[in-house]
Amino acid sequence: MNRTLRGEPGVSVVVPIVERYGDLRQLYHEFSAELTRLGQSSEFIFVVDDSQRGALPILRELQKESERISILQLSGSFGESAALMLGLERARGEKVMTLAAYFQVEPRGIGPALAALDDGVDLVAGRRFPRIDSFFNRVQSRLFHWFVRRLTSTDFHDISCGFKVMRRRVTRELHIYGGQHRFIPILAMNRGFTVREMDLPQRNEDRSTRFHGTGTYLGRLLDILTIFFLVRFTRTPLRFFGLLGLFLFLAGFATDLIVAIQKVVWNTEIADRPMLLLGVLLMVLGMQTLSLGLLGEMIIFTHARNVRDYRVAEVIRRVPPAPPLDIATEPAEPEASSRTAFQAS
Amino acid sequence: MDVSIVIPLYNEEESVEALYAEVTAAAESLDREYELILVDDGSRDATRPKVRALCARDPRVKGVFFRRNYGQTAAIQAGFDHARGRVVITLDGDLQNDPRDFGLLLQHIDEGYDVVCGWRKDRKDSFSRRLPSIIANRLIGALTGTPIHDNGCTLKAYRGDIVRRARLYAEMHRFLAPMMSLSGARYKEVVVNHRARQFGQSKYGFSRIWKVFLDLLTIKMLLSFTTRPAAWFGLLSVPFLVGTMLALAISVYRHLTILPYMPYSLVFPSITVLFAFAFAHLIILGVFAELVVKVGDFKQTDTILAVVDGPGGMQS
Repeated sequence: MNRTLRGEPGVSVVVPIVERYGDLRQLYHEFSAELTRLGQSSEFIFVVDDSQRGALPILRELQKESERISILQLSGSFGESAALMLGLERARGEKVMTLAAYFQVEPRGIGPALAALDDGVDLVAGRRFPRIDSFFNRVQSRLFHWFVRRLTSTDFHDISCGFKVMRRRVTRELHIYGGQHRFIPILAMNRGFTVREMDLPQRNEDRSTRFHGTGTYLGRLLDILTIFFLVRFTRTPLRFFGLLGLFLFLAGFATDLIVAIQKVVWNTEIADRPMLLLGVLLMVLGMQTLSLGLLGEMIIFTHARNVRDYRVAEVIRRVPPAPPLDIATEPAEPEASSRTAFQAS
Repeated sequence: MDVSIVIPLYNEEESVEALYAEVTAAAESLDREYELILVDDGSRDATRPKVRALCARDPRVKGVFFRRNYGQTAAIQAGFDHARGRVVITLDGDLQNDPRDFGLLLQHIDEGYDVVCGWRKDRKDSFSRRLPSIIANRLIGALTGTPIHDNGCTLKAYRGDIVRRARLYAEMHRFLAPMMSLSGARYKEVVVNHRARQFGQSKYGFSRIWKVFLDLLTIKMLLSFTTRPAAWFGLLSVPFLVGTMLALAISVYRHLTILPYMPYSLVFPSITVLFAFAFAHLIILGVFAELVVKVGDFKQTDTILAVVDGPGGMQS
């Protein structure tokens, strides 16, 4: 309606070009053709990392063909999460789609994904399935996702797939940084959004075996841990660190107690025993863990006013001074944010 | 607005209608202006549409809907955030509390109490459910010095201005009353009616004593540490200072007395260093914590609920 009048597209497609890119021209043509076929107006936002400047000439040319393309050229290398965030911020469509800069999935998967959004799902995460990858790719992906599932108690199989479709209210609440772009579905779920994983046919171009350096794998492991803490313990750091610290402290204490008893009963020479040192070390470590947890808890506690424990989907209330007593219903799906929670009535 | 009634609901599709009828009847008989705030804590059953229907039918009903299940504390906090009444009453959504007790609660608030707690003296639950609750209450009483019999009873009345300043933390709704009384709020316990559960299952178990204990400890610790961070971290570091001194003394003693031909052990000097390190660490953390508190918006009065007396106190 008035949305189209204002020239807002139905679907914004964000393509971060950070690590590598494939045939962008074909990517654009196939996906925009599919969107047009589905009757969706669209805009494409290409976010180009400084390291991938080679993509710019191609994009410029594409831009001449269509005015629905915007290019965001970053002044440096800030990583995929940053690129994605910048792209998402510029997206004007009510539905936002993210794509990898190379073919991962067949465009024909868009239709069902968009349809799911209309069914009340907030975010659809693509899963390349059935996979036609090399064996090695599948194994590393399996292992990675097994870890993720265990640590976050979610049920995703392919969160590294760049294809995601979400409502804009999801993007408004996401604040990702570092390597968190992979975990968008998990973070969204944690915020109370409805998230669904959807099988999409994998593209042939996505088959090549990918060996990453050890650093990459280490980085991923750290990412998983970050998410684990973000999802589980950001509200109550003390519960985790406190218990861990207490355990360490008690272990150290017990060790030293045994050493002391041995000294008293059997008169074992205490000064030659590394056990004594180990006990002390554990106690110190335990205390440090505990106190850091406490500090974390204090940070949250003192900023409690800004940290909401809950997310409101909707508030129904009547209009404040109400001679004609009618009901003001917020729109069915308002900008569900803490702002709604505070509407002064 | 005189009275706000806050009810957290989680999968209560069977009881919502009956609850509404009972609460409305009880509230109307009070002859005061009131609002009913129903907080749907991410129910998966038909609670939400039913609450929506009630909102449409009765303008005094206000619905707050969570995106997902966040727990009773969050639900009550949300209710507090939306309550505008001079008095705020909370009660359970499962019909086990009796809305006819409203009058009794309000009467005591009018007498000048800040918090009035319901006490399910004659509790209609199984013993296996009552026992952990008894232990937990004893524990809370011992730690806060406020011997309230039944902290788990949701049926409570609060003075509105106090509630609006409260920030429920973790599972804090259970010991909100003791925390308030710690800061000088006048509380009163009244025996309220308790009825057996008519519909569904109990959802908010009270059997996790260790959790209550940990939460309580956390909050007590937080309150002390946030009020005087450097001092408390300093206190925490004292044992390590003592340890450093002791280990140092032993090292020196051994150094002086050891026979020249014996191999010299580094165990005690190492312990000295470790303890000194921990001591320094805690002192530095204390300074850092001081900084954190300064940067944060923590005000002791806000969190611990200072009670305002005299004109203006009751009117907000």
